[in-house]
Amino acid sequence: MFSPKIIMGTFEQGLMYAIMVLGVYLTFRILDYADLTVEGSFTLGGATAAILIIGGTNPWLATATAFAAGCVAGFFTGFLHTHFKISPLLTGILTMTALYSVNLRIMGRANVSLLKARTIFTDIKNLPGMQTIGVLLLSLLTIIILGSLLYLFLKTELGLAMRATGDNELMIRSLGVNTDGMKLLGLALSNGLVALSGSFIAQNQQFADAGMGIGMIVAGLASLIIGEVIFGTPNLGRALFAVICGGIIYRFIIAIALQLGLAPTDLKMITALIVIIALAAPNFKVKISALSSAGRGKETHYANSK
Amino acid sequence: MLTVNNLTKVFNPGTINEKKALDRVQLHLDPGDFVTVIGSNGAGKSTLMNAIAGTFLPDQGQIILNDKDVTKLPSFKRAELISRVFQDPMSGTASSMTIEENLIMALKRGEPRRLRWALRSKERQFFREELEKLGLGLEGRLTTKVRLLSGGQRQALTLLMATLKKPQLLLLDEHTAALDPKTAEKVVDLTCSVTKKSHLTTLMITHNLEQALAVGNRTIMMHDGKIILDLKGAERANMSMNRLLEMFEKASGVHMNNDRMILAGTY
Repeated sequence: MFSPKIIMGTFEQGLMYAIMVLGVYLTFRILDYADLTVEGSFTLGGATAAILIIGGTNPWLATATAFAAGCVAGFFTGFLHTHFKISPLLTGILTMTALYSVNLRIMGRANVSLLKARTIFTDIKNLPGMQTIGVLLLSLLTIIILGSLLYLFLKTELGLAMRATGDNELMIRSLGVNTDGMKLLGLALSNGLVALSGSFIAQNQQFADAGMGIGMIVAGLASLIIGEVIFGTPNLGRALFAVICGGIIYRFIIAIALQLGLAPTDLKMITALIVIIALAAPNFKVKISALSSAGRGKETHYANSK
Repeated sequence: MLTVNNLTKVFNPGTINEKKALDRVQLHLDPGDFVTVIGSNGAGKSTLMNAIAGTFLPDQGQIILNDKDVTKLPSFKRAELISRVFQDPMSGTASSMTIEENLIMALKRGEPRRLRWALRSKERQFFREELEKLGLGLEGRLTTKVRLLSGGQRQALTLLMATLKKPQLLLLDEHTAALDPKTAEKVVDLTCSVTKKSHLTTLMITHNLEQALAVGNRTIMMHDGKIILDLKGAERANMSMNRLLEMFEKASGVHMNNDRMILAGTY
C-alpha cells in the first residue's frame, strides 16, 4: 500500500521532526521542565526562515537565524521562570501564546509560500547526483550531527551540571552550580532545536503557516515515549538514539493512519490517543499483575508491591 | 574560621505563626573543630545550618567564613567553601546519573563548569581509590546509576562527595538519622576518620545524645533559637548522657522527652 516515494518522504519528514524531538527530550527529560513553548517556537522557526528566504537571504543563513530565534524564545520562557518564579507549565503557555502574535507579525499574513524559492533543499538537490536522495541525506546528516553534538555536550562539565539540575536541583546548587543559568541555557538550546526543525519542515513543504506548530508538543511527547519504550534508555547514548528513532517511527504511524483513510484533521486526536495509552499503560500493568496475583496469598502480593 | 555574629531569623513575621527560629546566635569555630549540635525539634539547629549554607538570608547578623563575610552570598557561591550532607540519602546525589558522574561533579565543587569533557581516566583511577576506602565494593561500579544503590551506600557516597574536594566547613544535618543502626555506625566511623585525616572544621546535627558526646571535640545545645549550652574540654569529657539531659532541662525549663532524645538516632 506504500509506494517507495511515500516511504522516503515519510522518512525524510521523520528525520526533520526528530530534531524537534531532541529539543523536547532536552527539556522534558534532561531538565525535567514541562516546556510548552515548543508550539510557538516551531512555527517561529518556520516563519523566520520563510520570510528571510522570501526576502532574498541565503537559505542556510535563514535556517541558522531560525535556530537563534528559537533560542531567544526559549530564553524568554526560562527568564519568566527563573526571575519571576512563574511555574514552568505557565511560562511555556505564556510564551507560546505571545509567539502566535509574534509569528503573524513576522510573516505579515497567515502563511508564506516558498514555491520556486531557493531553500537549503533546492541547494542540495542541485548538487550532482543528489536529485532524489539530497533531502534525505541532508536531514540524516543533520540529525546525526545534532544528536552527536548533544551527546558530547551532555558529557561535558556543563552538560553534567545541566543533567543534575533536572535530577536534583538542591544537590547541584550545593555543589556550586547556578541552576537558574542551567535552565536558561537548556531552554534556549531546546527551543533552538525546535525552531530549526520548524525551518526544515517549512522549507521541505515549501510554505510556513501560523498554525504549523499546533499539537507539536504532544507529537514530540508521543515520539519521545514511543522511542523510549521500543529502544529503552539504559544510558545516555541509547536514550538519544531512542528519541530520534521515536520521532521517525511516529511519522510512520501517522502515514499509516492516513493510508488507512483517516482524515488529516483526525491526526491530532490519534496523537493524543497514543500519548494517553503510553502514559496509562504502566497503571494497567500494575492492576493486571495485582489481579493475577490476588489469589496467590500474601507473600506474592508483597513481592509484587515492592 | 567560622564566626556567626548576632544571627537572627524570624519566620512569618507579623502573623500568628511568627516564629523566632534564630535569636541573636553567637558562635565561633576554630579550624579543625568538630562541633556536635543537639536540641529538641524546632530548636533552630537546621535553621542555623541553612543560614550558614545560604539557603535563606538572615534578618540580622553576620556569617564570616575564613575572614570573608558570606552573609549575603547565594548558596551556590558559598559552595567552594562549604559542603553539606543532608538527612535524606536521596537528596545528596543525582539518582539518574552514574557514580563517577556524581563524583566528578563533587570534585568540581565551587568551580565554574566549562565546555570540557568531564571524565578522564586519571580521575576514574582516583575515584576507584577513594571508593575502595569506603569498603562498600563500589570501586568496581563506577558506571552504575546511583538510583540502584541502597540508602547507606548513597549516604556514604554523599559523604565522600562532600569531602572529595576539601571544604573549609563541613555541615552534617542528621546525616545518619535515616539509616539502620549498623549502617549509621559505619557512616559515623567514616565521618570521624575523614574529618580527622583532612583536619576538617565540622558542624554536625544529631538527635543521638550518645553520639553527640562521643564524636567531635565540642557540643552545643540549642533551644528556642539560642545556644544554651557549649561544652568543651574537660567539662565535656566528664559529661554523661543523663547529666546532659538534666542540664538541658534546667537551662531550658522544658522537660525533655528522654527516650526520644536517646533513641532518636535509631528511628
